[in-house]
Amino acid sequence: MEAVRERMEPRVVEKLPTPPRPDVALDDATLVVRAQEGDVRAFEALARRHQAVLYRVAVRVTGDPAEAEDALQEALVDAWRRIGAFRGDAAFSTWMYRIVTNRCVGMLRKRRPVPVDEVADAGLPPAPDDPARAAQIDAELAALGRAIAGLAADQRVCWVLREMEGLGYEEIAAITGASETAVRGRIHRARTRLAEVMRPWR
Amino acid sequence: MGLRRAGPGESGAVTLHVGDAAVARIAAVAARGVPGVVSLRADLAQALLGVAGAVFGQDRDGVLSADGVSAQVHGGAADVTVTIVTRLGENCRDVAIAVQEAVSVALAGQAGLDAQVSVLVADVLLT
Amino acid sequence: MALEKLLACGRDATAAWDRAVAGAGPDEHESGCRHCRAARADALGLDAVVHRMAAQPVEAPPSVIDRVMTAVVGELRPHDVLLLPSPHGPNRLSRPAAAAVLRSVVDGMDGLRARSCRIEQSERESEDDAAVGSAVDVAVTVTGRFGIDLASVTARVRQMVVAAGEQALGVPVSRVDIDVVDLWD
Repeated sequence: MEAVRERMEPRVVEKLPTPPRPDVALDDATLVVRAQEGDVRAFEALARRHQAVLYRVAVRVTGDPAEAEDALQEALVDAWRRIGAFRGDAAFSTWMYRIVTNRCVGMLRKRRPVPVDEVADAGLPPAPDDPARAAQIDAELAALGRAIAGLAADQRVCWVLREMEGLGYEEIAAITGASETAVRGRIHRARTRLAEVMRPWR
Repeated sequence: MGLRRAGPGESGAVTLHVGDAAVARIAAVAARGVPGVVSLRADLAQALLGVAGAVFGQDRDGVLSADGVSAQVHGGAADVTVTIVTRLGENCRDVAIAVQEAVSVALAGQAGLDAQVSVLVADVLLT
Repeated sequence: MALEKLLACGRDATAAWDRAVAGAGPDEHESGCRHCRAARADALGLDAVVHRMAAQPVEAPPSVIDRVMTAVVGELRPHDVLLLPSPHGPNRLSRPAAAAVLRSVVDGMDGLRARSCRIEQSERESEDDAAVGSAVDVAVTVTGRFGIDLASVTARVRQMVVAAGEQALGVPVSRVDIDVVDLWD
């Protein structure tokens, strides 16, 4: 719209409207622009809106709630520092997924490697005399968790984003910076490996 | 019996010298008393995060806290910078001017100093 | 290394897996192909436990946001300022704080939400210290409710921004540019 130059004249003092209704929910695009212009409250609203999903991804990739908490916290502070560089062409959530998963991969690479024999029996079912079906289901989930922990970091990220978060291949490629073909390859290898490790449970 | 400030050319009388820290505290108390000042800069974090008790600057120095004020004394004059937080409904320009005036009056009266006061309105609370 | 993962029969492994877990029954080839049947069994066998894991709720610890915001606020350095006129020498107002005030004024108007708010203060040469650098140009982008009368609403926004500049900030506003960038329902 065309800008109009207002001529300054004495005028009746306008009464300012009351502060905004708290139920006015602002979309991500608006919150991002405001945060980029230094509005700290807008950034807090973004962080609160996205933290659950980002934490969930971090927990499933690292397998460790404490590390996931650190990854989430560092990722959010990092996002604030770099928000000026965020271009609105990708979704904010895609950008945040990338920051968090990069942090998680960095943490995984710093850990000591999991010994091969720990991974090999990761999927074994419990002893046959274990009675309760409920205990077996919990044990199965724990076995899956250990199996996921045996995956290479880049496979783990792609697999979690696909199978736990339900993201499309194109978005996962945008998040990881890998080609869609590479993403499919990593997911395939992860699926094959997990199916093999979890086969005793079928 | 008390301290008497040395007049020009006088010798033998005790000189009252008010240092930076004392000036800062005098300025801080005066600034906080100005209507429209919600808190000084150091409380910005609590003010933004909505922590209760932020308005009265609860820290280890209590009501005399000089956080948010920087002062430098040279001769009979002081340069003071005050960082404040105000709220919607106030006029930032007018509150800042009122702080300049309150701090000047306080420093002249309590410390005998001419003050050059500069105010920074760091935040305007919207709720 | 093959770029696309293929089953021994030549079928795309990833696509076959995705179809199986989506609930699609085996097609004619898959029903008769032992490679495809094995792949489907792997997919369906893993899918159940994966679903169970995915269904587990995971809550972010509430203290994370507090620590994040403490760090964010701790790093704020209000160097980006506007000058406020004063007979005792100019004072300063954080530009992001001023922008937040003007945005909240727009947000308070029915059917509008502010997005960007840029405030520029021209450097004015003036013999009168009280008038140094005071008048500002404001450029806002807004989103509006579909159906509002954009022309009259933007005229109103202009009035409100000028009023807020004078009443809330204490600076005269010499120009207001308004860009309606999106609509919502």
